[in-house]
Amino acid sequence: MMLARVIGEVWATRKSPRMEGRKLLLVAALRKGQDAAMEPTGQVVVAIDTIGARIGHTVAVAWGSGARAVLAPPDNRSVLADAAVARIVDAVTLGNDDQPEYLE
Amino acid sequence: MFMGRVVGTVWSTVKWEKLEGLKFLVVRPYHLADLAPGMVAKPHPFTMYDGVVAGDVLGAGVGEDVIVAYGHSARVAVEPDLPDGQLPSRPIDAAVVAIVDHYHVEDAAKDNA
Repeated sequence: MMLARVIGEVWATRKSPRMEGRKLLLVAALRKGQDAAMEPTGQVVVAIDTIGARIGHTVAVAWGSGARAVLAPPDNRSVLADAAVARIVDAVTLGNDDQPEYLE
Repeated sequence: MFMGRVVGTVWSTVKWEKLEGLKFLVVRPYHLADLAPGMVAKPHPFTMYDGVVAGDVLGAGVGEDVIVAYGHSARVAVEPDLPDGQLPSRPIDAAVVAIVDHYHVEDAAKDNA
């Protein structure tokens, strides 16, 4: 999965029938920057959202068959999704419990 | 998936037979610098290296913004009539799954109609 920040939304009427009814978010991939802050890598991904993530939220995005698993029960090979918001992230720490590094 | 601008078309005469009739586009993914310049330090130069070749059954044209899916989802997208439970068989790994009408990005104050 990928950590990312929600930066916007996309709307499309001409689309594959298997995309009907999907809410699409623009999310910017994050990496650890300097000074315990997370910074965008520059990559922007379109992810399907089913859990109500909003602009400004940090989210974990699942790829591939993991994304289809977010959207549908195990038999999901006809689902069209290669990126889906799996969770909304409250906090991220790096390192062990003794010396955690909190990322903002 | 990613959002990108269609910048060209790919033509080929010699191809795998299951690819007959499938149109291929060159799509340049949007970089964060294109959508939210305030969030990145420097702009991102366009090179052909950025271009992704994607199959298209929706009829997107050069200059339009599209959403491209990768992998299994791409193969499902170019076979819209595939019955549930049957696996897709066309050998592609990227396809246009939607043509963008409108997007909205916060912070960059850019609203593209």
